[in-house]
Amino acid sequence: MNPSRREFLKLGAAAAGGLLLELAVDGTLRAEVAFAARSESVDAFRPFAWLAIEPSGRTLITIGRVEMGQGTRTSLPMLVAEELDADWSLVEVETAMPGPDFQDMRTSGSWSVGGRYGPLRQMGARARAMLVAAAAARWGVSPDDCVTEPGRVRHPPSGRSLGYGALAPDAARIPVPPEAALKQPAQFRLIGHPVARRDAPRIVNGSAGYGLDVRVPGMRFASIERCSVTGGRLRTLDDSAARHVPGVRDVVRVGEAVAVVGDHTWAALAGRRALRTTWDEGTVASFDSRAFRLRLAEASNGRGSLGRSVGDADAALAQAARRLEALYEYPFFVHAPLEPMNAVAHVRDGRCDLWLGTQAPNWAQEDVARRLAIDPAKVQVHVQLLGGGFGRRLGVEHAIEAAELSRAIAAPVQVVWTREDDMRHGFFQPAAAHRMSAGLDGSGRIASWRHCEASSAQNFRDRIDPHDPDLAAIHMWGGVDNPYTYPAMRAEFVLVEAPIPLGPWRAVFAPSNVMARECFLDEIAHATGKDPVTLRLDLLAAGEGADPRHEATRSRLAAVIRLVAEKAGWGRALPSGRGLGIAAHVYDGETTLAQIAEVSVAKGALRVHRFVCAIDCGPVVNPLGLAAQVESAVVWGLSQTLGGEITFRNGRIEQTGFGDYPILRLSETPTIETYTIAGAPRPLGAGEQPVAPVAAAALNAVFAATGKRIRRLPVASGDLG
Amino acid sequence: MPTFRLTVNGVPHEVQAPADMPLLWVLRDLLGLTGTKYGCGVGSCAACTVREGREALHSCLLTIGDAAGRSFLTIEGLAAAGGSAVQKAWIEADVAHCGYCQPGMLLAASALIERGATIDDAAIDAALDNHLCRCGSYPRIREAVKRAAQLRRGAR
Repeated sequence: MNPSRREFLKLGAAAAGGLLLELAVDGTLRAEVAFAARSESVDAFRPFAWLAIEPSGRTLITIGRVEMGQGTRTSLPMLVAEELDADWSLVEVETAMPGPDFQDMRTSGSWSVGGRYGPLRQMGARARAMLVAAAAARWGVSPDDCVTEPGRVRHPPSGRSLGYGALAPDAARIPVPPEAALKQPAQFRLIGHPVARRDAPRIVNGSAGYGLDVRVPGMRFASIERCSVTGGRLRTLDDSAARHVPGVRDVVRVGEAVAVVGDHTWAALAGRRALRTTWDEGTVASFDSRAFRLRLAEASNGRGSLGRSVGDADAALAQAARRLEALYEYPFFVHAPLEPMNAVAHVRDGRCDLWLGTQAPNWAQEDVARRLAIDPAKVQVHVQLLGGGFGRRLGVEHAIEAAELSRAIAAPVQVVWTREDDMRHGFFQPAAAHRMSAGLDGSGRIASWRHCEASSAQNFRDRIDPHDPDLAAIHMWGGVDNPYTYPAMRAEFVLVEAPIPLGPWRAVFAPSNVMARECFLDEIAHATGKDPVTLRLDLLAAGEGADPRHEATRSRLAAVIRLVAEKAGWGRALPSGRGLGIAAHVYDGETTLAQIAEVSVAKGALRVHRFVCAIDCGPVVNPLGLAAQVESAVVWGLSQTLGGEITFRNGRIEQTGFGDYPILRLSETPTIETYTIAGAPRPLGAGEQPVAPVAAAALNAVFAATGKRIRRLPVASGDLG
Repeated sequence: MPTFRLTVNGVPHEVQAPADMPLLWVLRDLLGLTGTKYGCGVGSCAACTVREGREALHSCLLTIGDAAGRSFLTIEGLAAAGGSAVQKAWIEADVAHCGYCQPGMLLAASALIERGATIDDAAIDAALDNHLCRCGSYPRIREAVKRAAQLRRGAR
């Protein structure tokens, strides 16, 4: 990296006489950071956050990541404020707008904190050094004799002190130091301490602004009728009745869909119900998820794209004293955030203002600009709070709909998806079949491990090339990077195309693969009379292997397994019908996780009582936030285990809402305990990671409680007898 | 279009709306009270919960025709109506994740507490089990309701 670009730029004037620092991140590398001068070309840089200290002392931190409940509006400012020694009560946080200064605000992949830990602290530290220098210069003393306390510089020998606001104008004229010393963890006032969510006061009084709450003068409301089958085309439209619905202003064709525009949401919905449409449903109308499930199971018997091979797994399996085989199945799921998709657009004078909650503000900007055929700079994206993200809000199609519609009716308009729209017109977590095979030697040790996944290529935004040589590695998260040691192993992926939208989801492909892997391991343990915890520890006993991608974290995985076993009381006697199940995972070679579920089954009813989670995601920035993410992940994973699935018949999704796609409820939620080990040297992701083992831990506990092995999500009422 | 009168957070309003328009959209689109959330429109998520006295109800299932002449409490009026203990407990327990479902939760929780019943797990389940949270704030909701009940007892 060009060292000259590793500079802060001061824009004192822009901050009304205050101090303004800018930090840029090269988003193409996960943690590689560049400090870019704003006046330079920033094409190669992706600015991340600005810090502004105003003469009033108000400290504004602008965050280039969005808030969807994962806590970035709290955790990321904490990093800056810690090293700045800011007065947390004077810190204000705003979400950035995409543009030249924030070229990648995409919030996904659980790397908001991990990727910013060093850079944001460094930004705060350099700002602090400049404030200290300004104070020292004003007092004619050495900066070394000055200290800071939240929001102030003090000179203990003379007893003088000045607030950051008073020092900001002077500090803005001081050259930015190339490097500043960071605090030692023992000096932290914020990092590692429980810090309450910044938006809580606004959330509890109803003033927190989500996309759906945006109101623009003159705004209309729209609901859009789409073909129930992906790729279908509008054949006929009779909107005469719809146009007579009170409050309906207009009926507008938007691509292959029909928008009803009204004075309020209800008029738009009522008008939509009065539309008479016929559709050419196209080829997807023959898609049936029951038939597809059988195709996946069949395909998993075949050979696929090889993701990883150790030794000769086929030969070892053939020679094994004993063979085990099992088919694990994973259905289609949909995100179903509580806030349905929506966007407000106002197109006028060759420009467009967009208001929405999105995980990909820049994609919203680019896609809308392309659709309107205008410069992206003419599209202003006002990012709102997200009423849930989970990967769904990486999609921006509702923003495009709103922009097209606003242009058509020459007025600001809010496009509101109904719950049913949200269930049926999103993108889905791909269904999969996992064919698991193990060969055991005469003493019951695993001699061969084979994992063959049949599933479909994610086709969200960029369709993955079915001939991509890395097809298996792209999809088999937890299958290819299986952390355990086997004398021979093989992980392969058979592509079975599905003609429906498939896209990212919380923990992406890990829940599918890890469910199969960790349940099958449990099967092996029980089949060979081994304790499931001991078996895992044995398979990790070799320690770190030569393969840095797949074998570098075994000690850290073993550590969380031992911790979770201790905390959950693994091995203790339980009443009949009650059981413990363990599952573990290394997520993307970084965060290590182990979870133990405690369940009971009585009269065919499954109850999850307790979930004990151990996680090593390095130093924890906000313990309250981390525990929230683990709790959230367990609830998410249990919804996959106990809740609904998406099914297709005649190309149509059969589910309409939470009635037929249930998600976990309060009364079904277990007590959830979170224990941490800071084994990794820097913070790692924790938002998606804890989802991965949840289903397997629960299903393994069901086996321990009942002797019934469930190999498909979600658990069906008949599974428990 | 017919005219209806109703009271929201102690303030009388007169709205012109189709008689079948749900209270949810009257609040959000006609009165600008967007704290009441749309989640499903069919009474299956409870994000749209408002209060009438000490009862929590789904504003998506109540038409303005039926709501006329009645008085409702929404999240915007909760603090002024004695709900600040619940709000305080919510902040202290760091309940909210994305926060979208929380206004409905707070109204149902405050109604439960004001009914004066014993606040135990069974009572919390009964009052809040129809409230869905996709982020999984449930463990902290349980804690916050208990904390709010304590705060309220302490205030008496």
